[in-house]
Amino acid sequence: MAQANAAAPAPKANMGQPVPRYDARLKVTGGARYPSDVAVNNPAFAFLVTSAIAKGRIMRLDLLEARAVRGVLDILTHEDTSDLKAGKFEGGASTSIDKLGPDIFHDGQIIAMVLADTYEAAREAAYKVRTTYAPVNPSASFDADGIEVEDATKVSARHKEMPRKGDAEAALATADVVIDAHYATPTQHHNPIELFSTTCVWTDYQLTIHEPSQFVYGLKAGVAQRLGIDADKVRVISQFVGGAFGSKGSMTPRTALVALAARKLNRPVKLVATRDQGFTIATYRAETRHHIRLGAQSDGKIMAYSHEGFEVSSRPDPYVVAGVEESAHLYDFGAVQTKVNIVRADRNTPGFMRSPPVVPYIYALESAMDELASNLKIDPVELRRINDTATDPIEGKPYSSRSLMRCYDEAADAFGWQQRSPASGSMRDGDWLIGWGCASAVYPTHVGVATARIRLLANGQVRVQTAAHEIGNGIYTILAQLAAERLGVPMSAVTVEVGDSMLPPAPVAGGSNTSASTCSAVLKACDAIREKLFRAVSTINTVGGKSVVSEPTLRDGKVVASDGMAETFSDVFKRIGASALEEYAEYVPPGVKAEAVAQLYAGTSTQTGGPHGQYLMYAQGAEFVEVRIHAHTREIRVPRIVGAFAGGRIMNPRTARSQYMGGMIWGISSALHEATEIDRNRARYVNDNLADYLIPVNADIQQLEVILVPEEDQMVNPAGVKGIGELANVGTAAAIANAVYHATGQRVRELPIRLEKLLV
Amino acid sequence: MRPFSFESVTTANDAIAAGASGDGGMEFLAGGTTLIDLMKLDVMRPTRVVDINALARTELGRIDVQRQGLRLGALVRMAEAAEHADINTVYPAVAQSLRLAASQQIRNMASLAGNVLQRTRCPYFRDVSYEQCNKREPGSGCAALDGINRSHAVLGTSDQCIASYPGDFAQALIALGAIVDIAGPRGMRDIPFAALHRKPGDAPDIETTLQSGEMITAFFIPAALWTRRSVFLKIRDRESYEFALASAVVALDLEEDKVRDVRIALGGVATIPWRATAAEAVLKGKVLSARSKRAAADAAFADAHAHEHNAFKIELGKRTLIRALDQAAAMEI
Amino acid sequence: MDPDRRKFLSASVSTAATAAFARALNAEAAPAQPSSKSAHEPLDVTIVVNGRERRMALDPRTTLLDALREHLGLTGTKKGCDHGQCGACTVLAQGQRILSCLTLAASVQNRDVTTIEGLIGASGALHPMQQAFIDHDAFQCGYCTPGQIMSAIACVHEGHAGSDGEIREYMSGNLCRCGAYPNIVAAVNDAKTAMASPG
Repeated sequence: MAQANAAAPAPKANMGQPVPRYDARLKVTGGARYPSDVAVNNPAFAFLVTSAIAKGRIMRLDLLEARAVRGVLDILTHEDTSDLKAGKFEGGASTSIDKLGPDIFHDGQIIAMVLADTYEAAREAAYKVRTTYAPVNPSASFDADGIEVEDATKVSARHKEMPRKGDAEAALATADVVIDAHYATPTQHHNPIELFSTTCVWTDYQLTIHEPSQFVYGLKAGVAQRLGIDADKVRVISQFVGGAFGSKGSMTPRTALVALAARKLNRPVKLVATRDQGFTIATYRAETRHHIRLGAQSDGKIMAYSHEGFEVSSRPDPYVVAGVEESAHLYDFGAVQTKVNIVRADRNTPGFMRSPPVVPYIYALESAMDELASNLKIDPVELRRINDTATDPIEGKPYSSRSLMRCYDEAADAFGWQQRSPASGSMRDGDWLIGWGCASAVYPTHVGVATARIRLLANGQVRVQTAAHEIGNGIYTILAQLAAERLGVPMSAVTVEVGDSMLPPAPVAGGSNTSASTCSAVLKACDAIREKLFRAVSTINTVGGKSVVSEPTLRDGKVVASDGMAETFSDVFKRIGASALEEYAEYVPPGVKAEAVAQLYAGTSTQTGGPHGQYLMYAQGAEFVEVRIHAHTREIRVPRIVGAFAGGRIMNPRTARSQYMGGMIWGISSALHEATEIDRNRARYVNDNLADYLIPVNADIQQLEVILVPEEDQMVNPAGVKGIGELANVGTAAAIANAVYHATGQRVRELPIRLEKLLV
Repeated sequence: MRPFSFESVTTANDAIAAGASGDGGMEFLAGGTTLIDLMKLDVMRPTRVVDINALARTELGRIDVQRQGLRLGALVRMAEAAEHADINTVYPAVAQSLRLAASQQIRNMASLAGNVLQRTRCPYFRDVSYEQCNKREPGSGCAALDGINRSHAVLGTSDQCIASYPGDFAQALIALGAIVDIAGPRGMRDIPFAALHRKPGDAPDIETTLQSGEMITAFFIPAALWTRRSVFLKIRDRESYEFALASAVVALDLEEDKVRDVRIALGGVATIPWRATAAEAVLKGKVLSARSKRAAADAAFADAHAHEHNAFKIELGKRTLIRALDQAAAMEI
Repeated sequence: MDPDRRKFLSASVSTAATAAFARALNAEAAPAQPSSKSAHEPLDVTIVVNGRERRMALDPRTTLLDALREHLGLTGTKKGCDHGQCGACTVLAQGQRILSCLTLAASVQNRDVTTIEGLIGASGALHPMQQAFIDHDAFQCGYCTPGQIMSAIACVHEGHAGSDGEIREYMSGNLCRCGAYPNIVAAVNDAKTAMASPG
């Protein structure tokens, strides 16, 4: 039994129990099988060869020396892989750049795959592949010659219109104060600790893929399409994912390649890509720039918000996150004008990375809010209060629930914000300058089409099946909790199966929709079972020989009437003449067409929510940080951070707190550490390893407090759940930047904030 | 990793004999934290690997605190020296330089000699897909000159190479005037630690003065008045498990507030372990004041040469040195 | 060794040491180790893994990590970077925490290696550190967890779990991308008490 501790907060209103994780024992014993752990019979080992240039053409691939390596079975190049069909960008594939050449679109593009009897031989041979290129000068990013800038609404299939209301220019012209500032965020890579791996096994024309995935149905459909085979012939298994953060949501080029190789060799093939290859064979968070203008009255009321964003993408794929679609709803802005541009460069295609739209855009907005507060000499918390709103500033729709200021007040209180001395540079402890800052966190509440199958046995054993994804989100745990609670059995009686495309489909584990969607489906299936039990009882109209009064419930493996009369499941089952009750349920959110279920089976996940429904649906929070900056050498540390978050119903305060905590640490990381360095002349990633791409270590995180703010929301979905996995890493970077300003008087408008920016 | 033959030696004689075989592709394997890393990256391609870890049970694995000084066997592991009580008291900068390096796992593995001989972290050196690297492929050029060079050196550079020396322990050794014992096919010799590493000059591929087949057997740090008042200060982006952006070793012999003698070394900013003799000269005989400290720091970086992303290291290096001087002066001993 | 060929580049205070080293030259330090005279000949390697002697014929290039995972089926030990930068592959060798990705299997011949699979008692009881990780929710995705736990056990045994600050520093060689660090510190604090009590 877990003892009381900070990791298991006592539930407040509308929160479940903080039970330990369903999969905890497996995870602490090495028993959890991540896809590359799965044993397959006599695998061949694959090693990728990737491009050393960012743009140009392969003129010659000399494989002689590589093929001569003892143990090498085959080497696949663009000449052997022309049978593979192109993946569909934004149709399940992360990129349209999926050929092994001869044309090179980015650094680290896969150009060959070596197959050998041993990993050691495959790696040796990969280094012996000699490539002759005809290179072309690449455009690395912003400011490079040859980049193309386009209005996102003209080229993106997903973003056709950007928020706009009133005449922002006119409002800016008449505002008492205008903040006009530019912000920038760097390229960042997810870097889950689990490497990208794929193992493919063919048996009788059936393909089984073991690959860490945030969407097993999508991957199944995508690989089938690329191989030109029936999707029914493909099974994807991904029972544990060793961190994903968006990087394992879409199909990347390697999967079909490994499948093809395994078919060609007639032998299982196992690929575990190296850490540096992970930087170029999957996606990343794009580099962005922002121009924000905020106009306000002298009393703090904002009159106009203008935000123009620029996002780097690859040449062929118009990936864009367009976070103004979220930021434009955050405050009562008055007039709003927004625009987003795509900057095409010679890069791999970016993609979803934890809270894709809001992280860069809210960083910029929340930084500007702090600039406005200090310009007006208004407390930053009060500035948010002055501009708080219960309705959409764009369309006037109501929020389904909004607890932003409650989060601010609880976090401010816990942090001791009242003791803050407002002037920058006014707080100090010996050689350390102290700064306090805060910012808002916000994330749209998404809910998707989901299905689930539940089986209840007469002995009270329950099995929950849905092809959801355990990426550290605790989905095994909360589904077990939910089913146990709903069916009146202990959690130990529940078995949960996820991460397998043989199970009923669940949506992509993206957009923090997993709990809302799968819980809604599981609830529906459980309720169907309850209904059958109740009907069985009410048909006889007796429980234990007495009349059923009303409102039965399920408790301790029994059907219990409100008067306390009870009958065991096995007795009820006997009466029905069944040994098991099994229910399959499809959950389709309001406003989504019924055919979305069939589409989910076919590998397309449909989600709604955020600004798109009848209500504005958002989870919100507030974060307060203390930074310490050495007065001389200027290194920056975060000794203290407090976050308060409201996310609707909290299924499990333990897993919720951990997700928030991890998010806040991500926020610290993005503020101070993370940046993929790109060599501007060569358009190549330089720090593509975990020694040079910095993420926090244990010693970087000291006091961290998470406050779960109770919130009830009947509108969002039947489970009342808002997505929380991507809430807490939003705004943190702005809070830290604001704290750095408070400590030093220096406004750093470009992330990450490294000591050289303060060494003045 | 290229194929190699593997053998373990159990006597120092066998190790030296292996070195004497004239096999240019031979590498000694101790902790492996540099060698195995770089072999996987195809940067190092030995054809013969001679595991000398068994020699840790001989003199090579011993720590000996003597009246004349501190003797550290080449195969002593970083963690052992870092935790050694006498080293912490008498040679605190040595212990700190080891403790603040890498992680405990790596410190348990890495030998002291291997630590000293670790290769640069220059990303262009560590990635063979870059054609330009004079250290890897003499005459091929230097991609770091016009590439990403935030981590690179500002002292001891040449137009051939600006890769920084990444280690910490070496700064303590060079500051404290250590001597290196070397054994090899042609016998044994010892040299000042300062003579071990070579500046890149026009041959960045030749990093040390060790001859083919030679191995370091021990380091000897002579006892001196300044060793107890010594500090190692390391500045980095994150709190732990990261190489230095800038570091400084300061060892002070104070008479009241006057500097009788001082030893200074700088890390993270130079191509090799870097003794700042010019800074020492500025301070000798002077009172430690804001002015003298700044003058010493300026002298230390008088010849610094920066590139696009590492110019900050000049100012950071100076401030790091000043902070280390302050810390050393404030030590209670 | 011909003393005439000794070459001294500096007036030496360290001659005593070279003499001591000379004495050591012929000292047999350890029993014979595996050797392959040819690069292509498999090495016969024996490692005592979790108390059991395991014999393998390995490519000399095989790391301890790959030997555990691909040859012995002990997949609890994880590959996160393969270059000593993340700590996911941490195991104990002769009781000390090391990185199995930077260790050649051949160089731990006849050594005792403990992996996450070796922590569970015969009765199936968890090690106190494993239980503490569960109690304090010291993981999310769980991928870095085996390495964290092996490292944490060593951290306690080394005497480096004296304070929160010390635990943080000595657990900094194990990256956790999910950000479970505060819970890991709490778990180590909790387990150190249980580990200190007999039985």
